Amino acid sequence: MAERETVKRLLQILIWTAVAALGAVALGTIAFHRGEPINATWFVLAAACSYLLAYRLYSAFIAARLLALDNTRATPAERRDDGRDFVPTNKWVLFGHHFAAIAGPGPLVGPTLAAQFGYLPGTLWLIAGAAFAGCVQDFVILFCSIRRDGKTLGEMARDEVSKRGGLIAQLAVLTIMIILLAVVALVVVNALKSSPWATFTLAMTIPIALLLGVYLRYFRPGRVLEASLLGVALVLFVVVAGQWVADSPYLAKVFTLGGVTLAFAIIAYGFAASALPVWLLLAPRDYLSAFIKAGAIFSLAAGILLVRPQVLMPPLTRFVDGSGPVFAGKIFPFCFITIACGAISGFHSLISSGTTPKMIQREGHARFIGYGAMLLESFVGVMAMVAACAMTPGVYFAINSPASIVGATPEAAAATISGWGYPLTGGTMTSLAHAVGEQTLLNRAGGAPSLAVGMAQIFSSTIGGDRLLSIWYHFAIMFEALFILTVLDAGTRVGRFMIQELGGRVWKPMGRMNWMPGIVLSSALIVGAWGYFLYQGVVDPLGGINSLWPLFGIANQLLAAVALVVATTILLKMAKLKWIWVTLLPMAWLVIITMTASFEKIFSANTRIGFLSQANSMAAQLAAGNVATAKIADTQRLIFNLRLDAAVTAILAAMILVLLVEALAQWFAILSRRKQPVMQETPYVATQWAEAD
Amino acid sequence: MQNLRQQFKLAFENFWRGLRQWSGDSAYETYLACAERQRSQKPLSATEFYVDQLNRKYSRPNRCC
Repeated sequence: MAERETVKRLLQILIWTAVAALGAVALGTIAFHRGEPINATWFVLAAACSYLLAYRLYSAFIAARLLALDNTRATPAERRDDGRDFVPTNKWVLFGHHFAAIAGPGPLVGPTLAAQFGYLPGTLWLIAGAAFAGCVQDFVILFCSIRRDGKTLGEMARDEVSKRGGLIAQLAVLTIMIILLAVVALVVVNALKSSPWATFTLAMTIPIALLLGVYLRYFRPGRVLEASLLGVALVLFVVVAGQWVADSPYLAKVFTLGGVTLAFAIIAYGFAASALPVWLLLAPRDYLSAFIKAGAIFSLAAGILLVRPQVLMPPLTRFVDGSGPVFAGKIFPFCFITIACGAISGFHSLISSGTTPKMIQREGHARFIGYGAMLLESFVGVMAMVAACAMTPGVYFAINSPASIVGATPEAAAATISGWGYPLTGGTMTSLAHAVGEQTLLNRAGGAPSLAVGMAQIFSSTIGGDRLLSIWYHFAIMFEALFILTVLDAGTRVGRFMIQELGGRVWKPMGRMNWMPGIVLSSALIVGAWGYFLYQGVVDPLGGINSLWPLFGIANQLLAAVALVVATTILLKMAKLKWIWVTLLPMAWLVIITMTASFEKIFSANTRIGFLSQANSMAAQLAAGNVATAKIADTQRLIFNLRLDAAVTAILAAMILVLLVEALAQWFAILSRRKQPVMQETPYVATQWAEAD
Repeated sequence: MQNLRQQFKLAFENFWRGLRQWSGDSAYETYLACAERQRSQKPLSATEFYVDQLNRKYSRPNRCC
């Protein structure tokens, strides 16, 4: 028996050594490969082996030494089982729930944008950031929330750090929500601009969602699977039907919309989704999105494994110097701000302290769900990086660069981009646009169209060849836009609730969630807030993404820093000083990148980076009379918007500084024994369930 | 052969159960079972439960970026 155990142990050591060796070879290959294109299989191997090792070793260490997960302790789902919020759920099912909740468009769009530095910085940050920061945050916050009856991050910040800490967390959530919604809406606008096929397809998902809503509410309450099956079939049909619309001279004209019109249409949609009953539009769209998201991500992974495309982007491009056309700024700090979701995302801490802790069956499952689901999201980010880097670099830059930098015609763009050392002809862009059924693919900043081209090329290499390229492209656009709109409508509604809650403190009726004037007013306020930033992005001559995406990245990483400050404070109170670096180091890293990026975005003398220097440069041109009379009002508005962006960035930076000071005072008091640490954990209750798993 | 078929059937049943739980398709059945155990008050109808569940779910952050 003992001999058998020894053999088993030896075999395990051998297997894990082989995984480590394979991972090291794969990482070394992608890091040191120069010259020729590299096969995408190396990316999959490097990521998969690193994740397996991180899960096997680091997460096990955190679970055992730092958190001491206790399977004999009853979780909130067991103690408070009510069949509604607190529902004990199988760990695989909850993993699926948690992953569906944390995986949004961020891990797809962020890596696509960061590909302008080359594939290497983004890929390494995705893998290392997830293993040592993102997964740690999700796992530790989930654990803290389980031990506190499923309390939210804001509640834990208030109880464990300070009252001011709680308020900062709430304000950070509201701010990030506004900027997030604006930036994802901008991604959709840039994907649908001048594309009748894509606009028609996405517009049709609204009546489909309404149909499902009525079906689920009145005919078959709660029968989500059958309704979703019907909905997915209809959505796939409208993806194909979009081609007929694009080919019809009359219908194509109706669905060919400019950026500003699309922005107002999305703003109107956001208002409707927030104010209408949730069962009518929001929930059925979410069901559709969840199924299509799962299908598309699985297909992308399968496609990459089957096709094993060559990665044509070099490991490092000339834009590491900060002069990138997609967004301005050097690798440090902007790569780490651009890729938030996929490496570390503060927003995840809201999910880890939201529904998941109320449904977990055993504390031990927190490792698999908290740490494991984030690893999977990081893998999605690596696949998005592969899809973006598998296309010719010239094509990538032509799609993602604004017209003010590369020019508005295929020939002008080709000349500029070829001049950078990435050969491209105008004919390539024209024929690619034709092949995917678009009028143009130029100047589509935002990441969605280039990701869709990358996905379509991978899918069409598996099924259908060039004949189906346009269908695959529009399927990919529909998939991205559909689940971005799901984030948009769900986020708008949550923002509405936050405003109603805050408003209720000032004027009681505002806090009544079913009071119609309150619903309309708060919906208008939240939609107006993100709608303003969206409009600003749409009319921005630099494409909008250049200013809004870094702002979103800063806000998201700020929230991650808040979560890690809360986690570190709780660990200190648990007397885990020896292992405090597990959360302290990623927290310090996030504070450094958030502060550096904020400083550069506000004060950099480079007008493409610094909000104030760009505003001052425009103001100087205005004062010197160098602006045409017709453009004076537009320029004044741009100057105001840039100063507003600078103010928002400064407020975000100030919030994290205040929270840090609060936390440092608390830590000093605990470590110097001036204050007895008071933990807000719920008392231990032994589980009544049989020990299993 | 029969053993293999049984294993396949079991795996499919587990997958189907998991899919129904993940999608929310079986949420009302779970709720009814819980209400039956607790017998605290009259359980909600399927429609009432569905609307109540959606209102709860979409009043807090439940979809990330």
